[in-house]
Amino acid sequence: MVSFLQYLLGSFLPSWLITLIGYIVITTIILIVTPVTFMLQTWFERRMVARMQDRLGPNRVGPAGLLQAVADGVKMFTKEDITPRAADKYVHLLAPLVAVAPVMLLFAVVPWGRGFEPADTSVSLLFVIAISSIAAVGLMMGGWGSNNKFALLGAMRAVAQMVSYEIPAVLALLAMVLLTGTMNVNSYSALQGGIPLLGGTLAEFGVPDLGLGWFAFTPIGLLGFGIFYCCVLSEGERTPFDIPEADSEIVAGYMTEYSGMKFAVFYMGQFLFNYALSVIAAIVFLGGWNGPGVGLLVDAGLPWLGNILSVLYLLFKAWFLFFVMIWLRGAFPRLRVDQLMGFAWKFLLPLALVNIFSAAIWVVIMLWGSDPRWTVKLSILGISLLGWLETLPIWGRQLVALAVTLLINFVAFRQVLLLNRRPRDETPAELAQDQVFGTAALP
Amino acid sequence: MNILIMVIFFLLSAFTLLAGLMVVTVKNIIHAALWLIGSFFGVAALYLLMEAEFIAIVQVLIYVGAISILILFAIMLTRHVTGEGVRQLYQRWWIALIVAAALFGLLIVPTVFNYSWNTVPPVAPGQTASISSSVQIGTAFMREYLLPFEIASVLLLVALIGAIVIAYEERSTRRKVLTLAEEVALRQQRGEPLRDVPTAATASSPETPAANVPSQP
Repeated sequence: MVSFLQYLLGSFLPSWLITLIGYIVITTIILIVTPVTFMLQTWFERRMVARMQDRLGPNRVGPAGLLQAVADGVKMFTKEDITPRAADKYVHLLAPLVAVAPVMLLFAVVPWGRGFEPADTSVSLLFVIAISSIAAVGLMMGGWGSNNKFALLGAMRAVAQMVSYEIPAVLALLAMVLLTGTMNVNSYSALQGGIPLLGGTLAEFGVPDLGLGWFAFTPIGLLGFGIFYCCVLSEGERTPFDIPEADSEIVAGYMTEYSGMKFAVFYMGQFLFNYALSVIAAIVFLGGWNGPGVGLLVDAGLPWLGNILSVLYLLFKAWFLFFVMIWLRGAFPRLRVDQLMGFAWKFLLPLALVNIFSAAIWVVIMLWGSDPRWTVKLSILGISLLGWLETLPIWGRQLVALAVTLLINFVAFRQVLLLNRRPRDETPAELAQDQVFGTAALP
Repeated sequence: MNILIMVIFFLLSAFTLLAGLMVVTVKNIIHAALWLIGSFFGVAALYLLMEAEFIAIVQVLIYVGAISILILFAIMLTRHVTGEGVRQLYQRWWIALIVAAALFGLLIVPTVFNYSWNTVPPVAPGQTASISSSVQIGTAFMREYLLPFEIASVLLLVALIGAIVIAYEERSTRRKVLTLAEEVALRQQRGEPLRDVPTAATASSPETPAANVPSQP
């Protein structure tokens, strides 16, 4: 965008002004596209949940109910905006803004397709993590500023949950950073071309670029994707983890005292947060904009057609991940707080740590001998331990790495599952205690 | 261009200083914590102005994302302070003033006398500076600064273990969270004191963090 403007206006405007105009245009596009995405999301979610519950859902306003979101928007605008008398006025007012602003900022680094990259910084993945942790401040402000028990409880739950699940999410992404050697979100998609499992390593034998070398097909990527997606569900407060706004216990959590547009802004922040994290998951693990045909079209000299196809691929993947969220909402009940915390700390965290270990081993196998720094002689009784790796071609190394990491991750997954199983052999005292309280049948 | 950067720099500095001033002067302690977040953001923006994007983002990640949240949590869990007018100035404020002035002088006097702070030489235009890149920082951590890095890691590990030891109690080894009634009944059955069982007045149930109502301004 900026380079295009440079070409258009470069002859009579200073370059800093062109850069400024370029980024204002990009920001405007983002600020228009994201609320429209939000409107589509609400319609999609309501229709899908209705379908799962054997209902029709909104179907009167516009074709198939597509304009329902517009009607809702009008309703939200005309609703009375209430601030409780005992609330902290400024904190109450600022909370929705603080909650939604980081979500909008997230879209600054999320690419929409091949060549559609709003901003290009070398640490955009870290930016995503840092910015998404700010939203918690907004929730806390909302919960405290409302001066309401339920709101405060909801905010406490929300923040505790976000802080806990951020750790496995970051560690899952860290494994991928180790694997790819970059923290730039824009460069992830291009790395996932080629064929499944082997990626682009067979290109010299004439194997075409199918765009299917997704990281989710490798053991590290698969485990990382599972961990990251669970964390996305939790940070976005989607159903198995929607404890912060458990309607049946604490009304609507931190949103209890909000009405009208302020409520809508909170709501929008939440939906767009889900969408943004779905896009990030799709980019980092599911190939991003890469898919069958993109690489072929670009190689055939039709880059613009490839770019359009890439946008469609990324949108489809992101919306599919969002659909899975809706699907889970239709299928699962809510967890308890202790189950939620146990899942993060006892299940996801150890697996994420093992995943980083696997990723390190992968990197060693792939890079051994490629650099003078890697030629540490590991040998026992004069027999070199890793020297044979240097004789293998790159695809052979990738096969070795796949096998080793699959073994590690599988064993780790099994062990962590076993450790988390409820042990049968409780002590007699505990069994007796269970009977005393009539809780023997509880999980 | 330079004048533009100067304007932005002074605006950001003014905002950071104002936010810092508010932190130590506002009566409401939650407001103070929120102003602190604003001040952290100002510092992050200053880093960004110096094109140290990695440091800027890490500043947001650690100070805003972790430390501020921790401070807010701690304030909200100590119910008697929340939202009440706290007097921020105490009798021995002049000691703090002296220390702060001494630290400020320590920084400003050498700068005034043109002491070189071992800064990076300015990069010629058109050439990209690589000093802020995460690769460089990682290499420095693993080579020149390995010992400090390891010491910091060990310190954090000690803190982690200490937190677990403090938080560990018999209640946490049970597989199921007991309700308040069950907890009391169990203690009575075993003849243990009811000292640290939360009573209905301080918490609604043991599985949620203490449900304190903010006493509002």
